[in-house]
Amino acid sequence: MPISRRTARRAVATAAALAVFLPLSACGGDSGGGGAADASGKIEGSITFQTWNLQANFKPYFTGLIAEFEKKYPGTDVKWIDQPAEGYADKLSADAAGGTLPDVVNVSPDLLAPLAKAGLALDLDQAAAKYKKEYLPGAWAGHGIPGMEGTYAFPWYLNTGPLFYNKRLFREAGLDAEKPPTTYDELFAQSLRIAGKSKGRIATLANIPTIEDFGRYGVQLMNDEGTAFTFNDAKGVELLTKYKELYDAKALDPQALTATPESAGKKFLTQAVAMNPGSALDLEKFRKDAPALYDNIGITEQISSTGKDNMYVMGVMVNARTERTPAAVAFAHFVTDARHQMEFAKQVAIFPSTAGSLDDPYFTKEDGTDATRVRIAAAKSLKTAVNYTPVLMSDQMKTELRNAVARALQGKESPKEALDNAVRACDRLLKQS
Amino acid sequence: MTTPTTTAAAPSGSTAEGRAPKNPRTGGRPRDGRSRIRRHLPTSPWLFAAPGLLVAGAFSLYPFLSTVTNSFTDRRTLIAGRFVGLDNYREMLGDEMFWTGLRNSTLYVLGVVPALVVLPLLLALLVQKQIPGISFFRSAFYTPVVASIVVVGLIWVWLLDERGLVNAVLEAVGVGRVGFLSDQWLLLLSAMAVTVWKGLGYYMIIYLAALANVPRELHEAASVDGAGAVRRFLTVTLPAVRSTMVLVGALSSVAAFKVFSEVYLMAGPDGGPAGEDTTLVMLVQRTGTGLSGRAGYASAISVVVFVVTVALMLLVLRADRKEDA
Amino acid sequence: MNRQGELMNGHRDGPERENGGGNSRRGRGNRESGRRMPGWEIALRYVLLLAVLALTVGPFLWQLSTSLKGPHEDIFSSPPAFLPEQPTFANYSRVAETIPVWDYALNSLTVAVANVVTNCAGAALAGYALARLRYRGRRAATVAFVLAMLVPVEGIIIAQFTTMRELGLNNTLVGVVLPLSVSALNVLLMRNAFLNLPYEVEEAAFVDGANVWQRFARIALPSVKGTLAVVAIFAFMGAWDDFLWPLIVLSDPQNFTLTIGLNYLHGTFANDERLVAAGTIIAVLPLIVLFACLQRYFFRGVGEGAVKG
Repeated sequence: MPISRRTARRAVATAAALAVFLPLSACGGDSGGGGAADASGKIEGSITFQTWNLQANFKPYFTGLIAEFEKKYPGTDVKWIDQPAEGYADKLSADAAGGTLPDVVNVSPDLLAPLAKAGLALDLDQAAAKYKKEYLPGAWAGHGIPGMEGTYAFPWYLNTGPLFYNKRLFREAGLDAEKPPTTYDELFAQSLRIAGKSKGRIATLANIPTIEDFGRYGVQLMNDEGTAFTFNDAKGVELLTKYKELYDAKALDPQALTATPESAGKKFLTQAVAMNPGSALDLEKFRKDAPALYDNIGITEQISSTGKDNMYVMGVMVNARTERTPAAVAFAHFVTDARHQMEFAKQVAIFPSTAGSLDDPYFTKEDGTDATRVRIAAAKSLKTAVNYTPVLMSDQMKTELRNAVARALQGKESPKEALDNAVRACDRLLKQS
Repeated sequence: MTTPTTTAAAPSGSTAEGRAPKNPRTGGRPRDGRSRIRRHLPTSPWLFAAPGLLVAGAFSLYPFLSTVTNSFTDRRTLIAGRFVGLDNYREMLGDEMFWTGLRNSTLYVLGVVPALVVLPLLLALLVQKQIPGISFFRSAFYTPVVASIVVVGLIWVWLLDERGLVNAVLEAVGVGRVGFLSDQWLLLLSAMAVTVWKGLGYYMIIYLAALANVPRELHEAASVDGAGAVRRFLTVTLPAVRSTMVLVGALSSVAAFKVFSEVYLMAGPDGGPAGEDTTLVMLVQRTGTGLSGRAGYASAISVVVFVVTVALMLLVLRADRKEDA
Repeated sequence: MNRQGELMNGHRDGPERENGGGNSRRGRGNRESGRRMPGWEIALRYVLLLAVLALTVGPFLWQLSTSLKGPHEDIFSSPPAFLPEQPTFANYSRVAETIPVWDYALNSLTVAVANVVTNCAGAALAGYALARLRYRGRRAATVAFVLAMLVPVEGIIIAQFTTMRELGLNNTLVGVVLPLSVSALNVLLMRNAFLNLPYEVEEAAFVDGANVWQRFARIALPSVKGTLAVVAIFAFMGAWDDFLWPLIVLSDPQNFTLTIGLNYLHGTFANDERLVAAGTIIAVLPLIVLFACLQRYFFRGVGEGAVKG
């Protein structure tokens, strides 16, 4: 390091010389890696387990889980690190580039894909194939990467939720508040009606269509090989054309072009928007933060043309370069096995990805409360639900799509032109990744 | 810093220490005096500057050199790149988003800098005078500076929302609601307003330090001559703080060109509707970070940002020198 | 902040500052402010001060109000309610229950204080070298600091992390402090402050046989206290507010700083605005208090340093 040279002038010169080759060798481009892919050895040693923003609310659960594991496998030592909500991708990037990635890491599929491509995620079809049958087939397959052999993370929790709507706003527009829309046509018609009756003051939707909305509408998002995007097909153009109509009528919130899921959620809380997707947890939030809204809350199922709801999935991957492969694999499995996922699901409204867990009475037996009703409906829909968002779709590609949608809604480009451009940009980014 | 004080206390030390603040202004900097303090141990200047230079070298300049080399590769966050020559720079020329970013960053400088040079000076004049409670006001005016930008963003988004406080007022006085957060130009203006709002206290401090240096005799002399407040401001205050205005101009234009947080928080991560409010640094962040970031291309944009800020700095300093002549 | 106390200190400030200004000034009238202000001018000043006050602190009062709102109070009503109906400090104790907020605050304090010390020392030394000492390469050194100030940080953070890891300082508080420890901007601020000092004083000391360290520590440094106070505030603030760098360089939650820790309040599954608001106030309050304390010193310091011709 140039630091060790005492003269500043020389340090700068040395730095200039080093900079030419150092940065390129600093990170892992070579696949494979240091740790053995064989998980059959003795389960021992100390490993690090990283979660994403779960410490504040679930600390007792995780410390208990770890204690149980360490007791079951004497000689193991699990260190738990939890990262806050923001900056997780940046943190993973720095750790991956610097070679300091923890042994067991909580990832979402879009974070997993680049890590797997860089050879940093262990292929579980090789290292842990015996556990495959414990998980829902869709959830297991959801952690594969198109264009690559193998599965790169244990499925962990799933999430999905209903659509919430504001009964008062529906009533004020002369709609039947007990009969919320169930198809896209109804949704569009009722949105226009609410906007018309309120003279454009009340929008029904607060978010522009995202990639999963296209998926739910029945648009084919990518080709089967995962080598090119296809959301500019006739169905895609049709959906965007509809949204343009809503936007012009202010049935889609005028601020939707710059909205984030959080800001859209807030608009629903302030009763400026009539509908918003959410999860069972939101009910409690409505009750506490917006009692006026809570009195008028309506709950209905997600709308889709495919009959399959959207779900979000979380996984637990094993660092391919860990020096403790057996312990890391064992622990990743331990966290995600049926019993522990079930325990976790009872702490917070998420859903297990293990086979058979969703048939547990907890997910099937009504007790008369709204929260349980929402939970049961979600569990039912999860049996067929899909993670529509392609795992290969990076943040940069999502931005391209959002910008294209915005241009179409503003009328700067036709829906067809906009989607064609977005597909072209995404394909180019895909080839580079 | 402890080393010097441990050296034997020269008798002259205490005298000099007491004299420094009391030194009567003899007017003008004695240029001929410089030569007399030239001699010193030859190594000491480097010892003085060493900690600063080491930090600047190791954690700014050296990493930036790798940014420069990266800009000639197609490196991704997790994948080593190949040398691609000027490809990234060529791509930039054809990238509409790059031009949008350059436009917005430039507009930001033009919009924000004049306000940040003038308003904090007026504010400093307002709080300079010792009247009861002034310390409280000074501290209060400084709060936006110390508040985290994320909080500031949240608060202003709430204020400027379609149904926020500002629109409620505008509607009440009959102007009607304004889409501060949905129109690309209003969004940029709103972000500028937040930058100015947050920067007021910061530059106010720098001006206060400069105002304290204005000799009161000059004001008194002007008063005796019968000059009014405005005249005194123009003939006494303004010339005295001119170099500070240049400093504020230089600092604020560099900061304005590199604006990120305000626009990011007001206009969203995409940079407003269809990305029309994207600034250059936002583009660096968007293309370069994350696990699939295109570090090579983002580095090339970084290099452009760097070159432009260097040019801005030179421009401001050049303008200063011309006025001097 | 104790408003009453501040007001009283305001009164006290005046005379103290006069003393700081030096004997030679005494009895010569108190600069502009010595002139008696007409009543209307005082009134106008207060009107203006209050208007700016509303603009600058209004938003924070709203945040404060949200943090004091009890459960089941509508915090998203429209038009918004400014005063909590059932004010409570429960949200603050809930923050402390949810995250080890004192541990995080201690880490932040450590980092911020270290940053103040290193910046004041490093920037004063380097600034003095740039402004006062004659040697070959001085210009190059100045340019190096200007360039370092202009480097866009967004692109270099991973390279910084790699360096830190090679130094073995990742996951330490030293690693958090080091890149900010002598900020180029502060060096340049100190340089300007030293440049504005007249040479005669140091010259006299030089004649008396004081060496460069003595001149620096005993003469030059006490004359730029005002700028040092500015550097101290900026350094404290910079370290206290930083989020991305500490997040990247630290792995172990027990080393986390307050900004990272407070980010946990944004729950994965649900967000509690009251908690977030309380967290915000906890983060901002020390900075405001610090400034309120330092600013008196700061203005006095500026007065002392005011020997520029």
